[in-house]
Order: sequence, then C-alpha cells, then structure tokens
Amino acid sequence: MATLTVKKVPPEAKPSVIQPMLYKSVVTIYRIFAILTLYVVLGGVLAYGFVMGFYALNTSWAAPVILSPTDDKSLSFSEKLVTSRQTLEGLNVDKKRLQEGVDEMNKHKTALLALEPELQAAIIREKKHNQATGPQLLELDKQKQADNLKTQVVMAQVKEVEAAIDKDLAAGLITKGDAAAQRAALNQAQSSYTDSKIGEILLTDSVLEKTTTATKSLDVLDKQAELISQIAQLDIAIGVAQKQLHEETQQIDRLKLALTTAKQTPYYLTVSGDSTVYFAFVPYDNQRNVSTGTAVYDCFLNMVVCKKVGTVKQVFAGEEHATHPIFKTDIRGFLVQMQLDHPESAKSKTVFLNRKPLFF
Amino acid sequence: MAPVLVWLILILCLLISIVKYTFALILKWSVPGATVKKDYTYEPTVSVLMPCFNEGKTVYETIESISKSNYPNDRFEVIAQDDCSVDDSHEWMLKAQRDFANIQVRVGRNAVNSGKARSVCNALKLSAAELVISIDSDCIFHPDAIRELAACFSEPKIGSVGGRVGVRNPNESTITAIQTFIYYAAFQVYKVPENWTRSVGCISGCLFAIRRELLLEIEPKIRSRHWFGIPVNQGEDRFLTHQTLLRGYGTYINNDALCWTTVPVTLPELFKQQLRWRRSIVRDLFYTLRTLPQHVWTLHPNTVLTLVLTPLGALLGLLVAITMLSGNPMAWAGPAPLMLYLGIAAVLSWVIRKYSAREAINNPLAFGAYLAWSLVSSLFITTLALCTLDSKDWGTRAKEQEASDGDANRQESAP
Repeated sequence: MATLTVKKVPPEAKPSVIQPMLYKSVVTIYRIFAILTLYVVLGGVLAYGFVMGFYALNTSWAAPVILSPTDDKSLSFSEKLVTSRQTLEGLNVDKKRLQEGVDEMNKHKTALLALEPELQAAIIREKKHNQATGPQLLELDKQKQADNLKTQVVMAQVKEVEAAIDKDLAAGLITKGDAAAQRAALNQAQSSYTDSKIGEILLTDSVLEKTTTATKSLDVLDKQAELISQIAQLDIAIGVAQKQLHEETQQIDRLKLALTTAKQTPYYLTVSGDSTVYFAFVPYDNQRNVSTGTAVYDCFLNMVVCKKVGTVKQVFAGEEHATHPIFKTDIRGFLVQMQLDHPESAKSKTVFLNRKPLFF
Repeated sequence: MAPVLVWLILILCLLISIVKYTFALILKWSVPGATVKKDYTYEPTVSVLMPCFNEGKTVYETIESISKSNYPNDRFEVIAQDDCSVDDSHEWMLKAQRDFANIQVRVGRNAVNSGKARSVCNALKLSAAELVISIDSDCIFHPDAIRELAACFSEPKIGSVGGRVGVRNPNESTITAIQTFIYYAAFQVYKVPENWTRSVGCISGCLFAIRRELLLEIEPKIRSRHWFGIPVNQGEDRFLTHQTLLRGYGTYINNDALCWTTVPVTLPELFKQQLRWRRSIVRDLFYTLRTLPQHVWTLHPNTVLTLVLTPLGALLGLLVAITMLSGNPMAWAGPAPLMLYLGIAAVLSWVIRKYSAREAINNPLAFGAYLAWSLVSSLFITTLALCTLDSKDWGTRAKEQEASDGDANRQESAP
C-alpha cells in the first residue's frame, strides 16, 4: 500500500487575534481617559479663569484670620503693652513725687512769705524808734561830751591835788588816813570820769546806730534779702516742678489714650481675652460693604452655595497688610471682628460680607 | 513630598541646563575636539530624500536650492516623494524635474497617504547612494550644505549628521521672532556639548544626513513603529537619531551645513507644530525609560541625561506651571522673569545680528512674549501631547491624514 507521504507543511503563522484586540482595548481606554482628562483640563482652565475674574470683580470678600497670642504680631503687641503699662506706672509715681515736692515748696514759700512782712514791720518800727530817740541821744551825747570836757579840765588838776596831799601829809598837816581818804576820793573821781568817757563813747555809738545805718541793720536787711531770694528761688523751683508735672501729666494722658486705643485693636482682644476671637481681613476695595452688624457668609468652593455664618461685631480702624488669597499680591485693608455661629468658617479661605456673592 | 520631588527634579534639570550651556560656550570657544574634523575630499554619493505633503510651489524652490549645491552633480540626486498631496505639489515636483536637468531629480508618489516617516522609507527604496540626506520640503538649502554634511562622514563612527536650521521669516511676526531666538540658541549653544561627545539627542528632520546602510537597518523599525497598533508617523528625526545612537554610531550637528525653514507664523500653526514635537518627545521618553538599562550600558552618560532629562523637564514644566498658577499666579509674569527674558533677547539679538545677519531680528523685545508662550507650552501642549499620542497627522499640515498599515509603498516613480 502506497503510503502517501505528505510533506508536513508548517501551519502558516496565524496573525495573533489577541494582540489587536488588546491594542484596541488599550487605545479605547486611553482615548476615554484622554478625553476625560482634556475635559478636566478644559474645565480647570475655565474654572481658573472664572475664579480669577470673580475675585478681580467681587467687592464683598474678606479673608478670615485666626490670631493667636503666640503670633509674632500679638507677641510684639503684648510686649509693647507691658512696656507702656510699666512706663505709665513709672510716670504716675514720678508725678506723685513731683506733686508732693511742689506742695512742700509751696508750704515753705507760704511760711517765708508770712515771715517777710513781720521782718519788714520790725525794721520800720525800729527805724521809727531810732528816728525818735536818735536826736535826743545826740543831744545828750553832746551834753555828755561837754560834761566830760569840763570833768577833763578838773581831772587835769588831780596831779596837783595829789602833790598837795603828799605835801600836806609830809608837812603833817593831814593824817595818813586823811590822805588815803583824799586819794580814794580822787581815784573815784577819775574812775567816774572814765565811766563818763565810756558812757560818752557808748552814747556816741548809740547815736550812730540810731541816726545812721548800722551793721546790725545791715544784717537785718541781709536776712530780708535772703528771705526774698529764698522765696524767689522757691518760685522758680515750683515753676520748674509744675512744668515737669504738667508734661508728665500730658505724657500720662497720651499713654492712657494709647492704651485705650490699643484696647480697641484685635491684638488686645487676642492677648487679653479668654475666649477665641475671630477676625477677617477686609481689603479697602471692599470697605463699603462692611459695618458693624453686617452679615457674614461662608460659601462652598469659596463662591457658591453660601450660608450666613455670623455678623461683623467690630470694625477696627488700623491699617493691615495681607496677601491676596488668590492673586498672592500685597494688599492693604483692615480687620473686622466676626461673631461666628459656625466657628469652622474662620478656617475658610474667604468669607463674604453683606451679601452672597452669586446670589445663591 | 511630591511637590518637593517635582521641584528637586526641576532644579536638577535647570542646573544641568545651566551647566550644559556654560559648558557649551567653553567648549565652543576653547576645545577644538568639540567639532568634527571635516574632510572635504570625501565625496560619497548622496541621495537627497524629500518627502512632501501639500507644500505647493515650495517644493520647487526647495529642489531649486538643492540644484545649486556646491557638490559634484554626478555624485548626488534628489528623490522627491509625494505623500498624496491634494494640492499641486506633485506638479511642481515634475516641473522641478524638468527645469533642473543639471541634477538627477526623481519623483515618487505614495499610493496612499502614509506620513512623513514612511515617505522617507519609500523614497529610500529608489536610492543606491552611500549617504542619504532627508530634508523637509519647505526648506531652502545653502549651496555648501551637502558638501558640509558629507565631509563629516569621514569619521567612521559618525552615523548621522545634521545641519543648522535657520529661520527664513524671522521678522514676519512676534512668533517667528521668538522661534528665531530659540533655533539659534539651540543649534549654536545647546547642541555643542552633545556634539563634543558625538551624541546629539535629536537631529532636525529639516536636514538629516545618515549612512544608507544604517538607514536600511533602521527602516523596518520605522515602518513597524506603532503605538498600540496605531502607526506613528511623527518624530522620525528624533527616532532616527535615537536609533543611530543605540547602534553605537555617533551623531553630530554641523553648524556650517545651513538650511532655512519657514517657521510657523500664527499661534495655531506654532501650537500644532509644538504639539507634534512634544508628542515625539514624550514617546521618546517612554521608549528611553522602557529600555533604560540598554541606554545606560550603551550610551554616553551625557546622552542618557539628555534623553531623559530634556523630556522630563518638559513634563515637569506642566506640574510647575500648575503649582505656580495655583500658588502665585503673578509670579509667572512678574518683572524678574520678564527682565531675564529681555536680557537674554538683547544678548542673542546682538549675536544673531553679528554672526547671522540674514536672521537679524528687528524687534528683540518680542522675546518678552515668550513668557506667555512658555506658560501655554508648559500647561497645554504637554497635556495635549499626553492625551493625543494616538494622533496620525503631519502636524503642521492642515489636513489630518489616514495612515496606512505601513506598506503603502506602491511607487509611481519617474526616472
């Protein structure tokens, strides 16, 4: 039996069926993914443009700010507050001390002023007395001088009398006792004369005192001048002290005002308050939408589906600088305190004041 | 963590770019080894392959410029391959064939529209020369271009050589002015370190010379190139350069081989062109990453860095643009970047006016607009490129074409 030998032909390589299907699937998935991605990109671009435009035109947004006592600004504020208070206390102590000094000086001045008329009266009284007694004494002085001159003439004969006594004693005309008695009488006369001369000199002095300005009077005048000077110096010292007192009072007033103003800043509320206080930065462009009591809205995606979350409790006057939450540029504005019913809104990127930004 | 990583890679890319540019200038001015020793006595036979699609009269002008080449006429030919143009491109080719009888011009036509890469392969079939020069059909060539390219092949390890592409219409619009700056800096500075190691990452398809044997070896890969079954027609220049390098050959740019191209004038044209290029970059990155060990062992480290970091930088540009726009939108167009760009423009403008007067830019300030373009480029082109890897169009041409399965090589050649 013939055997049919069939040359085995290798089967023709069949094109893979799986690979094209696999490729097709991959490409289909890729295309779906690519289309979705491109739509997302397109949506992203449109949304980005819309957000940019929205925040460029919107005038009611504000950026919540959570201030902590450990913030740099709060710490700096706290430090300044303590320093100001210490300065104020120091100024008050100084003022009290100055006031006491002024009071003391015023008392002293009053006492001196009271002394001065008495001294003046005494001088006048004395002057009057001197005017009255001076001429009399002068007359008496002259009389005394005349008497002393006469006595002097008499006393010039004393030596002759003594010689006569000695002669009489030697002649035995008088006893020694008589001689002694006579000599004692002579001494007494000389002594009286001397006393009289002294009296004359003293009288002359008295006359001089009564009729001219004597050193005693000068001393009194010196004391009077010293008194007046002391009063004048006291006046100056009191003036200086009062001026200083006035300046310190003004400084105290200014510090008190500054402290009062500081108490109206958000930082004071932050560092002094026990409860959490919520703030928001409002750019000047949006100022017209803000006042106390203005409603605060928080929105989904920072612009839609808004709900009222609180009100503006207080508007602070001080200027603040911040970075724009979207454009990241430096902007100027001010802070407001918010009374939030939903504290979570303080963590939102932006809130809106007065009205919902897109009416829903 | 992710943003930190992005920034780190970006800074790395930036640092490498700065080092590369600085290094390029040092090499350019002081290291003779950075340039190939050209041998002008070496005159191999040359086929100039010119794929064409809807270029109209431009193809005639291109062939005309080649016909004036300072190269022995019997040592080179032009093979013009029409990719089923719907305009009168084919007629202009035939007219050029008739008018420039001093050189051999052969005209071929694809049976179906096949894309540029396959048109080159189809044209290659008609060639028997030692050297093949693939060109763009909208370029004008310097008479010395062929001679300059051929002279570089005297170095046996050189596989592909490119020429410098200049801009024909630098002052047509702001967009062309910007491109003039970019083209000039890319060829005169950026490619220099790559030239030094003979490892240029991408030789422009405008003027691409390659050894014929090497191209024949690579041709099957070009024909079978696909993305999940979809033929890839774009970026054949980058692909060819890459393949040349992987086969152990050197690649080089000879800046003395000049050609002039008409760059996109309008934003949509530029957008399409850049999108095509970006797709090619992305594909190349994926290919490099897929075969990274082979690259690391085969190629020069500078080449690997160029092949990885350049496209990675383009991808990261997208992330950087998003980060900047979401973080600080004004930083992109701030005064500092603008001043930097204008400073670069001033220097480049002066250099171009001095060394390439034909490309002198009337309004250097136009480069400031590159800021806006860089944003568009980083944000949209990369995204679009990543999402349109299945694209089959020519890129700068208006009509999207159906690509064949790669065998659309029925010829209609004229002698």
